[in-house]
Amino acid sequence: MHAIRIIDLEKNFGEVKALAEIHLEIEKGEFFTLLGPSGCGKTTLLRTIAGFYQQDRGDIYIEDELINRVPAYQRNTAMVFQNYAVFPHMTVFDNVAYGLRVRKLPKDLVSQKVMTALKSVHLEGFEQRTPDKLSGGQQQRVGLARAMAIEPRVLLFDEPLSNLDAKLRIEMREEIKAVQKSLGITSIYVTHDQEEALVISDRIAVMNQGRIQQIGKPWEIYRDPQNIFVANFVGKINMLRMQLGAGAGNGFRHASLGKVELIIPAHGTEQLDTILAAFRPEDIDEVGAGGGGNTLTGVLRTVSFMGSVARFEVDVEGQSITIDRHRPREKDIPPIHAPVSFSIPPESILLFDPVSGKRLGKGPQP
Amino acid sequence: MRGNIRRADIWTFVTFIGFAIVVLFLIYPLFDIFRYSFVDKETGEFSFVNWLQFFSKKYYLRAFTNSMFVAIATTFFSMVLGIPLAFFTVRYRIFGSTFLTTLSVLALLSPTFIGAYSWITMLGKNGFLRTLFQSVGVNLPQIYGPLGIILADSLQYYPFISLMTAGALMTIDRSLEEASENLGARPTRIFFDVTLPMVIPSVTGGALIVFMMSLSNFGTPMIIGGNYLVLPTLAYNLFTSEISETPGMASTVSIILMLCASIVIVLQQWLATRRKYASMLVNRPVVKKLKGLRSVLAHGLCYGIVFLSTLPLAVIVYYSFRKTSGPVFQPGFSLASYRQIFFDVPKTVTNSFLYSLAAVLLIAGVGTLLGFVIARKKSAVVRTLDSLLMIPYIVPGTVLGIGFIVAFNKPPIYLTGTSVIIILTYFIRRLPYSVRSAASILKQIDPALEEAGINLGSPPGRTFRTITLPLMQGGIISGAIMSWVTSMNELSASILLYVGQTMTMPIKIYLLVVDGFFGTASAMSTILLFVTGVSMYVVNKYFTRGNETFLSA
Repeated sequence: MHAIRIIDLEKNFGEVKALAEIHLEIEKGEFFTLLGPSGCGKTTLLRTIAGFYQQDRGDIYIEDELINRVPAYQRNTAMVFQNYAVFPHMTVFDNVAYGLRVRKLPKDLVSQKVMTALKSVHLEGFEQRTPDKLSGGQQQRVGLARAMAIEPRVLLFDEPLSNLDAKLRIEMREEIKAVQKSLGITSIYVTHDQEEALVISDRIAVMNQGRIQQIGKPWEIYRDPQNIFVANFVGKINMLRMQLGAGAGNGFRHASLGKVELIIPAHGTEQLDTILAAFRPEDIDEVGAGGGGNTLTGVLRTVSFMGSVARFEVDVEGQSITIDRHRPREKDIPPIHAPVSFSIPPESILLFDPVSGKRLGKGPQP
Repeated sequence: MRGNIRRADIWTFVTFIGFAIVVLFLIYPLFDIFRYSFVDKETGEFSFVNWLQFFSKKYYLRAFTNSMFVAIATTFFSMVLGIPLAFFTVRYRIFGSTFLTTLSVLALLSPTFIGAYSWITMLGKNGFLRTLFQSVGVNLPQIYGPLGIILADSLQYYPFISLMTAGALMTIDRSLEEASENLGARPTRIFFDVTLPMVIPSVTGGALIVFMMSLSNFGTPMIIGGNYLVLPTLAYNLFTSEISETPGMASTVSIILMLCASIVIVLQQWLATRRKYASMLVNRPVVKKLKGLRSVLAHGLCYGIVFLSTLPLAVIVYYSFRKTSGPVFQPGFSLASYRQIFFDVPKTVTNSFLYSLAAVLLIAGVGTLLGFVIARKKSAVVRTLDSLLMIPYIVPGTVLGIGFIVAFNKPPIYLTGTSVIIILTYFIRRLPYSVRSAASILKQIDPALEEAGINLGSPPGRTFRTITLPLMQGGIISGAIMSWVTSMNELSASILLYVGQTMTMPIKIYLLVVDGFFGTASAMSTILLFVTGVSMYVVNKYFTRGNETFLSA
């Protein structure tokens, strides 16, 4: 039995295709994230599961029950909202008790469950406060406790942390993950923040233009992206359009960009003339002039000091390449316009079809 | 799986009720008026004779040009009074500016006919100011006619302009003026380059409201206009003289009046869709302190304007306590006028209170439900209902009164002569304001709150009751109080619909003024003013959006 099963879901807003060909299976207790840029359809999908939107086509099952025709208030899917949606005219206690009272639970059971929920989000003693006396983070805890209290079949998170400041966001996401794991409630989490998605999720579905681009564990999404969109959206990646050349043996072949030559994996490139070769900034080893294999040399354009790394933008044959230098020291940073050389391990290069955008060949081990 | 599961819930029913109200109490009466405008009253057959007569006879056309002249002049003078008042009270420290605003709003909300007849007691044939000036050899011009209408209207309606301008001035982001100054502009230059362009949309918005109010005002021209006919008084006169026949000409005049009003509304809507500059920023402009002569002049100007507009009300209150003998005032004070009301016409007072109360309950209830549908349920059907609910804005009271008589004096519905028809007029005239105010309150309530309720298992009806309604409460009550005030003071439609048993205070005041019983009229007007003042006080005291609420009056 799957906690959630979605088959061929489609949703249109007038002419706009908001969701198309959505297939999903989410396991019980899983923390599943919908990741994508704004307008990609992730929130639409979440709200369709909650019953706020009606799909134009396709089926949604919760725990093997077809819920297409079940109204939102009977779906037992509790949502945590982006702007908290804490009822401003009720105390913290009444907020958390709301769903329980709707379910006509006896009074003592209501207060027992409210207390448990408040305890798990560290809001004991706040019962009689009104929401206007709470910080954003506290309000979102109330939202989370209110959703958990009804013991829903699925917890739905609609960008719950995006209104919080950076530090609190990190704190809260750890807390959400901990609470979710301890209760074992299946959760669907919507975010546009790729780092948040990687940290918090068991599995991620990357979405774009109403379609799912790839579903996988965080490692797979980052290390083994199946198309250009996923590669670009999750993390930083360099992409060079290169001409394919002769074979180099051992499953590798040559590729060139102007005067620059690289060795790249050959698998899947047989029918092509040009290729998009991609590699992540952290996979590049900066080398002294002339040293190392599979080396590119370019001119340093800018240096961005980001604390833990210094990010170099290097111009190679008119294309910009990003390199991260770890443990940076100011005295080690070369001057602007200086030549910089770096080598790229051939096995860390990912190849994409420049026409379809699809991944070619097999990726490195995640 | 395909298909739409939207089930008929409580909101489908509310939408249906909304359509039923609009069709029965707006479209049906207005269609009757439209039909009658094409009926020749001599033959009872279809003809264009009314329309031809309107555009060929000087008598009718004159009423049209009169209406335009009065409305344009009133708008102009309201701006002359309203803009400086707004500017000085917002930007400079004027002692007691809140008090001034309150007084001007009281003048705005008081029944129009009270101001008009108060000016008569001051500047009419035997008006005390007139006699006073005559005794020192100054002959003031005749107050009856256009001069009186424009005077009374401008002094009543200018707060629309001052309140809207003040609202805009208060929300201009201070950084904009600072940016202008920082880039080297001098104070006058800042005013003309930045400040003024920012408030122009609000000034124009206010001006259109004033134009509209003046155009459809019935009470003032009826009392102070003399022989000077404007469209509403022309329609009224024609209708009351045509009453036994088919009201052809009155219908034609009604439609012309509505066409003028529609043009103003279209203009207003067009303006509203254009950019508004009001910002939500808290970077409010600073209030400057004036010194010496400048301060004296600014205070003089603000107090002068507000004094002039409250003077008529003060005069009325004064006269209500004067001793009278029949229509003649005697020296000294007494409560005889009040005694007379409570012994002779207590029913008039209770009628006013009961009808207004009934109407307000309807207005608040139906308005809130329809407001919810319009704010939250987006569909072609709801959009249609929304535009249909605009109709009362373009239907002056006189026209609605005529429509109700012609429509509900024949099968299938007889209502004429009942209290129901008067309550319904109050209800219909005020409904769009109530719907709009409910919808705008809802726009400030995050829909996610309702979704959270639904999501937690609460059905739509319960969610509305436990979440939406408590959050709307303040807005609904303050809106209801405003509806109460306008209903208590309604004259233009009810004067066509009343019978002896269903007389209300505004009608009685009008009749008393016509018969010359100024004492009793003043006492009754004072009661209305008192009710208006108390209602305003309650709104101001207990609800934060006070002045905004008054604007929708």
